[in-house]
Amino acid sequence: MRYEIRIDGLMSETLTKAFPELDHVRMSGQTVLFGRVIDEAHLYGLLTRFQSLGLRVVEMRQLPE
Amino acid sequence: MLIEWSVVQCFTERGGDPVATSNGNTRGPAVAAADPLGEPFLQTRLAPPGRPATFLRRSRLLEHLDQALDTPLTMVNGSAGAGKTLLVADWAAGLGQPVAWFTNEAGDQGAGVFWAYVLHALQAAGVPLCADIGCPADASRVDHKLLARLADELSGHDRPAILVLDEFDRQTAPQTAEQLEFVLHHAGPGLRLILVTRTEPLLPLHRYRAAAAMTEIRDAELAFTPDEAADLLELHGLRLPAEATRALVERTRGWAAGLRLCAMAARESEDPEAYLREFEAGRSAVADFLLAEVLKRQTARTQDLLLRVSVVDRFCPALAEALTGRSGLEPVLAGLYRQNAFVEDVGHSWYRLHPLFGEILRAHLRARHPGLEPELHRRAGQWLRATGALPEALAHGAAAGDWEFTAGAFVDDLAIGQLFTGLRADDLAELFARMGPEVTGAAPDVVRAARDLAEHDLERGLNHLRLAEEHLAEEALDPALRLSCVLLESLAARLTGSPSRAEKAVATAEELRHEVPAHLLDKHPELTALLLTHLGSARLWAGSFDEARAALSEVAGCPSGVATALPRQDSLGHLALIDYLNGWLGRAERKALAALSETEQFGLHRPPGADLGRLVLAAVAVDRDDLGQAQALLEEAADSAPAALDPVTAAGRSLVAARLLLARGDPRAAAAAADPAVPADVASPWAEVHTALVTSAAHLAEGRPDTAAKVLDDVPYGTEPAYAAELAWAQLAAGNRDAALDLVDHLRTRSRTGPGVSVCAALVRARAAQEAGDEATARKLLARALLEARRERLRRPFLDAGPRLRHLLDTPPLQSLAAGWLTPGGPAPRAPEERAPLVVEELSGREREVLVRLAQMMSTEEIAADLYVSVNTVKTHLKSVYRKLGVNRRGEAVRRARERGLM
Repeated sequence: MRYEIRIDGLMSETLTKAFPELDHVRMSGQTVLFGRVIDEAHLYGLLTRFQSLGLRVVEMRQLPE
Repeated sequence: MLIEWSVVQCFTERGGDPVATSNGNTRGPAVAAADPLGEPFLQTRLAPPGRPATFLRRSRLLEHLDQALDTPLTMVNGSAGAGKTLLVADWAAGLGQPVAWFTNEAGDQGAGVFWAYVLHALQAAGVPLCADIGCPADASRVDHKLLARLADELSGHDRPAILVLDEFDRQTAPQTAEQLEFVLHHAGPGLRLILVTRTEPLLPLHRYRAAAAMTEIRDAELAFTPDEAADLLELHGLRLPAEATRALVERTRGWAAGLRLCAMAARESEDPEAYLREFEAGRSAVADFLLAEVLKRQTARTQDLLLRVSVVDRFCPALAEALTGRSGLEPVLAGLYRQNAFVEDVGHSWYRLHPLFGEILRAHLRARHPGLEPELHRRAGQWLRATGALPEALAHGAAAGDWEFTAGAFVDDLAIGQLFTGLRADDLAELFARMGPEVTGAAPDVVRAARDLAEHDLERGLNHLRLAEEHLAEEALDPALRLSCVLLESLAARLTGSPSRAEKAVATAEELRHEVPAHLLDKHPELTALLLTHLGSARLWAGSFDEARAALSEVAGCPSGVATALPRQDSLGHLALIDYLNGWLGRAERKALAALSETEQFGLHRPPGADLGRLVLAAVAVDRDDLGQAQALLEEAADSAPAALDPVTAAGRSLVAARLLLARGDPRAAAAAADPAVPADVASPWAEVHTALVTSAAHLAEGRPDTAAKVLDDVPYGTEPAYAAELAWAQLAAGNRDAALDLVDHLRTRSRTGPGVSVCAALVRARAAQEAGDEATARKLLARALLEARRERLRRPFLDAGPRLRHLLDTPPLQSLAAGWLTPGGPAPRAPEERAPLVVEELSGREREVLVRLAQMMSTEEIAADLYVSVNTVKTHLKSVYRKLGVNRRGEAVRRARERGLM
C-alpha cells in the first residue's frame, strides 16, 4: 500500500526525520509525506505518531500502485 | 524428609490444614493495599501533576466539569497539548474530596495489570473496598467476577467514588473498554468515571449521550478564546494588542501548547510583538517550529539536558545527572519547572517532560546525536538498576539492546520466578522475546530456559538449562544466578517426574539461600513458593504423600498475595489430590474449593492449579455418583489446559476420566483412558495402581477373571494403605478371596487413611463374610460402612458392590441407614454426628440478599428486578454463594445456609 499524507504547516528537517520510512515534500503551507505503508497496523501507528508530535493531518489517501 | 530450612519470614510455620489460613486474617487489607507490582514510582502515577505558576484557570471549563458529579461518564477529549490533564487536575484539587487518579503508561500490557492499578488507585484515594474483592494476579486477564464484586461494592457506597483515568488512549488492551463499561453500568451512582484521552475510547458513547448520562469536553471547548489567550500571555509577562492576540489564536487555533510555546519563544526575543507577527505570517507546523525556537534559546547545557532526559518517562535530579554526566542539576530542574519550560512536577522531586514536548525533543535528540539514544538507555538502565527499580531498568536495558545487562539484572535480582507467576509474567516474556540468539552467557540462558519452561516447551527448556549449567560449571558465579538455576531444576524435575532431582535441587537451594542477600528472598516470596510447590509435586508423583504434604502445606499456608497466588493455588490443588487419594473426600473437596477460590480471587486461569482443583472435585463427584457434575468439571478442566505436561495433572486427569467411564458402564473406553502416557523418570505408584485397577475391571467386565487377577498381582504397591482397599476389592471381584483378605488385614494397623479407604475395606470384609455364609457379620460391617460413608456422601463403593450385598442393603435395619442418601425413599436422616463444614468465606451483604430471595422461591429474573440489578449480576452472586457454601443447587444452598444460621 502506498499512501500520501498531508500535514498542516511546514515540518522542519528534524521532525521529518521522525518518519524515516516516508519521503516528504513541502508545498503551499503543507508537508506531504508519502511512501509505502506496510499494513493497517503501520497506518494507525503513523497516525498516533503524528498526533503525539502535535501534527495536524489534513488529508490522507491511498495511492494507486 | 521435612523441609529443614525455614521459608522466608512471611511463611507461617504451621503444618496443619492450610485451608484454615486462607480465609481469616491473611486476606486483610494490608495485602490488598500493597503496591501490586512493587513499583517504586507508582505514587507518581496515582496523583495528578502539579499546576505550574503560569496555569490559567478557566471557570467556564470548571463549571462544565462540575457536571461530572452528576453523570456516570465524563470524557475530556483533545489533541496532545490541549490542556486536558491540567484542567482535570485543577478541578480535582478544588473539589474538596479525594479523587482516585491513575495515569496510564505505554508499557502496561493487559487487562490484569490495568485493573490491579485501578483498584490500587481507588484504595489510595481512600475508597473503602473490602478485601474480598481480590486483585488480579494474571497479567493478561481479569476475572469477570472480580469486576462484578467491585461494581457491587461501589454501588453500595453513599458517596460516589471519582475515578480519573489520565492518558486513557495509552490503554490498548481491547477488553478494557468493555470491562470499564460493565463496572460503570453496574456500579450505578457509586462511580463517576472521568476519562482523559486523545482518542475516543471504545465505550458505547452514543448510548450515554442519548441518555444524557455523559459530560463531554472536546477540543473545540478546550481551545483558548482570544480573551483567555490574552490572560495566559499576561501570566507569561506578555501584553499584546487585542488584534495581535486574535491573530495568534487564529494561527494556533487556540491550542494551549501552541500558545504556551509562543509565549516562551516571544518572551526571550528582543521584540516580542514583531516576533509573533513574523510567526503568524509563517506557515510552519506550530509545535515543531516553536519548540525548536524555544530550545534554541536555552543555554547549550540546558539543551543537552532536555534532549538527554527525553529518553525516560520520569526523572529526578540524580537520574538526570547519570544521563548527562554532570552534577548539581537539582536547582537547574527546579528552575526549568518554575519557568514552565517543558518540565512538569509529578511530586516526590520527580519530574517529567510534557508528553508532547518530550516526543518532539526525542526527534531532536535523534537528529542531533545519532546513535546516542542506546547509550542513554544503557545509562538509565544502570542507574535504575542501582536504585532498585528493576522493571524500568529492564525496559531501558532492552531498549539499549544490552541483553547481557538486562538478563543479568533480572537474574541478579532473583526475579526469575516472575516469569512464572504474578502480574509481570506476560510483559517480561514479551520483553525477553526480543533477545536474539547471538547473546550468550549464563544469565541469558537461564532466562531462555525459564521462558521455554513457562511456555511448556520442555525439550528446549531443558536444553537451555543444560547450557546455563555448563556456564555455571566453568566459573564460580553469583549465588543468585545459581539459585535461579536451581528453581528451574526443580521445575524440570517436576515436569519429568523425577523426585530425586527435585530433592537435590532443594538441598542445593538450602545451601545457596545463605549466600544471597536476605532482602532479595523477602522481596521474592514467589521463588521459595514455586520451589516448594515443584518439590511437593514431584514427591506426590512418586507417592510420598506425607513428604509432599509437608512441602505443599508451607506454600498453601503462606499469606495470600499476588506474587504467590499461583503457587498457592497449585499447592492447594495438589493437597486436595493427596486427600482424595487417601480417601478423605470432604477434606479433598474443601481444599479443591479453596484452590478454585484462589483462582477466582486473583483471576488466575493458568494450569495446573485450577485444573487439579477441578479434577479433584470431579473425582469426588464420581464417588458421590453425581456423574453429570463430574463430566462438566472434567470438561471445564480440559478447556482451560490444552497442553498439560505436568505428570501429576495428566495422571489425575486420566484417573478421573477412566473412573467416570467405568461408572457409566464403559470399561473398554475406561481402560483406554486409564494410561496417562506421560514420560516420567520414576513410576508413580498411585497412577500405576489406578491404571491396573481400571484395566483389571475392563478384563473382568469382558469375562477374563484370570487376566484381571494377573494384572493385579503384578502391582508391587499392595502394602500401601491408600491403595490396598481398592486393590483388595478388585482381587475379590476377580475371585481371589485370600489375596483380598490378606490386603485388608494388612490395612488394619494404619490410620492415616480416610473413609474412602475404610468403607472400601469394610465392603471387602462384608462380601467375604457373606460368601462364607456369615450374614450377621456382613450386616454389621455394612452398617458401619454406611454410617461412615453417609457423612461423606460416598456412594460409589455401594453401587459397585454387586447384587448380593446390595440385596442386604434393602433389608432392615440397613435399609433405614441407606435411605435418603444412598437409596430413594424415607425422610432424609439428619445424622447426629453430621456437623456442617465451616464456611470457608463469609457471604457478602449482596449475596445474602440474593440468598434470602432464593429462599422465598423467587426466580433469577424476579430477584434481579427486586434488587435493581441485571440477571447476569444475580447469576454471578449465585455462583459465589454456591462456591462459598460448597453446593451446586439452589435448594442445597438454601438448606445449607439455614443449617448454618446464615439466614
